[in-house]
Amino acid sequence: MNALEARGLVKRYGGLVAVNDIGFDLHDGEILGLIGPNGSGKSTVMKLVMGIERPDSGSVKLDGVETVGWPSYRIARAGVGIVFQHSRPLHRQTVLENIKLALLPDSLLRLTATAGVDDRAREIAGSVGLGDVLHRHPATLPFADLRRMEMAKAIARDPKVVLIDEPFAGLTAGEVETFSELIRALRAQGHAVLLVDHNVKSVAALADRVLAMYLGQQVAEGTVDEVMRNETVRRVYLGGTLEASQRNSGAAETRPSLLRVEDVSVFYGKAQALEHVDLHVDEGEFVSVVGLNGAGKTTLFNAISGLVPYAGTVAFGDRALAGRTPAAIARDGIVQCPESRQLFGDMTVRENLDLGGQHLPAEARAEQLAWLFELFPILESRQGQVARTLSGGEQQMLAIARALMMRPKLLILDEPTLGLAPVILEQLSKALERLRASTPITVLLGEQNVTFALPHADRVYLLEHARVVWEGEPAKFAAVMGEGYL
Amino acid sequence: MTTLQILVDGFAISSLYALAAVGFTLIFGVSGVLNLAHGGIMLVAALVGWWVAGETPLGTYGGTLVGILAGLLTAYLTYFLVVRPIQRSNAIAQEEKEIFVLTGTLLWGIMIQTGMAYVFSDNPVTMRPLIPGVIAVMGVRTPINEVMIAVLCWVIIGLLWVLINRTPAGKQMLAASINPRGLTLLGFELSQIYFRVWTIYGVLAGVAGVLLASFLGVGTANAGQLTASAFSIVVLGGLGSVSGSLIAAYVVGYLETLTAYLIAPTLRPIPALILLVLVVYLRPQGLLGRR
Amino acid sequence: MTRAFNRRLLFAGVVFVLVATVLPLWLSAYVLGVLTTAYYFGVFSMSWDLLFGFAGEVNFGPTFLIGLGAYTAALLDNAYHPPVVICIAAGALAALVGGVLLALPALRLRGPYFGLVTLVAVLLLQNAIVIFARFTGGEIGMTVPDVLSVDPKLNYWYALAFFVVSAILLYGLSRSAVGLILQASGQDAVEAQALGFNVTKHKLAAFSVSALFSGVAGAMLVFYMGAASVGPIIDIGIGVQIVIGAVLGGRRTILGPAIGAIFLLVGTELLRPLGQLNTFVIAGIALAVILFFPDGLLGHVLRPRENT
Repeated sequence: MNALEARGLVKRYGGLVAVNDIGFDLHDGEILGLIGPNGSGKSTVMKLVMGIERPDSGSVKLDGVETVGWPSYRIARAGVGIVFQHSRPLHRQTVLENIKLALLPDSLLRLTATAGVDDRAREIAGSVGLGDVLHRHPATLPFADLRRMEMAKAIARDPKVVLIDEPFAGLTAGEVETFSELIRALRAQGHAVLLVDHNVKSVAALADRVLAMYLGQQVAEGTVDEVMRNETVRRVYLGGTLEASQRNSGAAETRPSLLRVEDVSVFYGKAQALEHVDLHVDEGEFVSVVGLNGAGKTTLFNAISGLVPYAGTVAFGDRALAGRTPAAIARDGIVQCPESRQLFGDMTVRENLDLGGQHLPAEARAEQLAWLFELFPILESRQGQVARTLSGGEQQMLAIARALMMRPKLLILDEPTLGLAPVILEQLSKALERLRASTPITVLLGEQNVTFALPHADRVYLLEHARVVWEGEPAKFAAVMGEGYL
Repeated sequence: MTTLQILVDGFAISSLYALAAVGFTLIFGVSGVLNLAHGGIMLVAALVGWWVAGETPLGTYGGTLVGILAGLLTAYLTYFLVVRPIQRSNAIAQEEKEIFVLTGTLLWGIMIQTGMAYVFSDNPVTMRPLIPGVIAVMGVRTPINEVMIAVLCWVIIGLLWVLINRTPAGKQMLAASINPRGLTLLGFELSQIYFRVWTIYGVLAGVAGVLLASFLGVGTANAGQLTASAFSIVVLGGLGSVSGSLIAAYVVGYLETLTAYLIAPTLRPIPALILLVLVVYLRPQGLLGRR
Repeated sequence: MTRAFNRRLLFAGVVFVLVATVLPLWLSAYVLGVLTTAYYFGVFSMSWDLLFGFAGEVNFGPTFLIGLGAYTAALLDNAYHPPVVICIAAGALAALVGGVLLALPALRLRGPYFGLVTLVAVLLLQNAIVIFARFTGGEIGMTVPDVLSVDPKLNYWYALAFFVVSAILLYGLSRSAVGLILQASGQDAVEAQALGFNVTKHKLAAFSVSALFSGVAGAMLVFYMGAASVGPIIDIGIGVQIVIGAVLGGRRTILGPAIGAIFLLVGTELLRPLGQLNTFVIAGIALAVILFFPDGLLGHVLRPRENT
């Protein structure tokens, strides 16, 4: 019998189908990796198995017993442990007490823990490498130790199935290796492990089998090699075949530098999201920052826009941006169109655009609006429609148009292609072409869809695990990175 | 005759409730603050207005204006001394900020109430009507003042509507209630927008306070009840929905008037309370609530 | 918490009990009266903290539970004259039922909405008492034929004993295995569920315990004062005092709110010469604490190395 059997799982959130007919088997002593770009539904699948969300249809069988509809605490007691993406310690308790909690029975009457609990907790702590920090409080621990504690809590009662959500996010390369060892040890002990992560390489190194998802659906399943070489999977991650036309943009002329990012590092609490990143963009250039989810693209853009604190310098034109409020930086000319778009959902398309143009005098605003309607004709026809009701592609166009209403000197686009159908991607691509051809705008694009990112770019940066690992021209990128990207 | 009387009186009371509630909703929708010092702000406006009207040569009109200004000032104090420091504090966890603001405004409201009682004493005060005299409305003898109050409330609510829906500043405030981060990305300083909202709120609460003083009279003991009424109306209508508050204000206003006339004046607040309980259990987001 | 800390706490506790027990030998009946009421408020605040600090539920109307306990005991005593202990037990039972009623929406509502329910509950109780004035004495209140005692010293010792026992029970609960589960349920319900705990069951239990202690304390207060009325028992102002006491003392520590409540009550009395202004000063101090010491006066002491 399989440790875990999922069949036909479906989960809808309003009109969005997050998980569409997903099924898999998980055996004892096996690691199954779940991969897919952002928004493919991997985390939702985990939540469905754990009972945190209830599937609209489908079944999950734990050791042959149907668990759909059970509250998550019952599923936990039946033998499923989960390591969440974000650490969730009890801050007022020590490491030892946190682990002891995981060993307590669900009883109202128990005032003290039974004798064996303390010893068992110490044992578990030792097995994950926390033996020295038992009496410390979570706030004093380094990031990697917090993740170890999450692991300890999940395996405390020796569950049959262990679900691990994004174990490698925020860890350094060395820590990733240590953690992988821990996960391998779990497999050796006979646990069934379901692993979800963006870092495809690390998952590939660890998993026995892999299931690839995209937009809620299964696109490939099999051994690691099989899946990595699967055409659909490569297309989904890279966006297609890598071709980069040599740009004849007269790159020989020296252009004045517009944006300089020097030695920038960002920490989210303990996790390092950016590590000593250097980047520059010259006037009129189109620079693409390529990288998988979790690599740090959004953090980089948020640092430039002043939305997160950072160490290092960001200079725009001839002044450093440190100390400017995010709104001031936007007014200075750096306008970001974030991954989450941040539209005013309850307002119409026209109202959204008008707000973007508020800083311009009336004539300039009208001019800009007319130009944008020409660039994105669909927005003109949907002027009066409430933004929330637009399709994904239309919302993305609105977000870009609204940013352009500000007449930015530097436009930052964060993952504009996320969740969009190929047809829309083409429209977007054409619009960007026209933008580049007709205006002196400078663009900084962040994308995991390499096929979309390369053709327009003058230069490419590759961001991996919080660091810039490669910089150069698109043609070279295609040649050098093609095979190794995944 | 009673039906018409109820209609007329109920309308006036509801209009006043509407004005008080709309301000409360605005502050919640845009700034995210449930201001439990709301009644206190109205109280200050009412008492200062009454004192200036009675004790200085400025008279009733001057008193009204000064009262409104006093309300505005108190609103500013509430924002800059209590709400903003808590919202910006690094010592308080993000999830706890809402509760801390709630408790903070509650304490501030108590300070206002007791402070005012010390300066002005507990006795309820009534401002002399701005326009004396009586008029017949649909055959009912009504003080002109009452009519004027209803008209004034609606004029102000109308102006507010125009402000929010037809001016750039208003659109910005509306956008702030939908997505503050979006506004920052478009180069708007949120601090400026919040300042504008609190200014409008201060004026609304000030006007409501002064009008209440001239209509029903106000005393320091009322402050808590005023906040509770505004709170109930806003919850009934749906937290964050201005139109919801307007409708709920009339529902509550008429329920109260009906109860006072037909059952007993002492049982005035009961039906609204029962309605509140039902709403909270069955439809917590209120009639038209968004959040 | 370390062994050393526990020993220091025990030592401090024993000293407190010893000193408090002998105080009546020197203090006037008036001061004893203030302290007696303060001890009952200490229990109110501790019960509140159990619910807030440990189950994560903000109760803006703790006087709903207290009032249920107080008035049930008073009504029963006036109607059938059973022994005082029976009345108190009845009060506790009524408060328990009230607590469960309050728990039901809490488990479904989030954030400010639950706080709303608690406020509404108090208003309803208050208005119900006024409407049924025939039975309850309305705004003026009603007297009870029995009292705990007429001797202020004895009343003081009853209150002190109750306070100390409650403190030991509630603090012990907070430090127990069940307390740990409650803390997890309040801090992170999803994680607690994922660790195998039925959060609903535990939160209901927290509500019940909080209600029980509040109800008993409310009933005892009635038999101390010899009367039950809205002002000193149910009024929102009382609820506010309880919450302020807890915030002042340091939430989530059980003992902090106890000290905070006593401090608040004694402080208000000391400031009585200021007349109306004493509430102003107290509210001002509480506001300052919220702004500058959000952890409360004892928060730092009782919660070592929490958020370094």
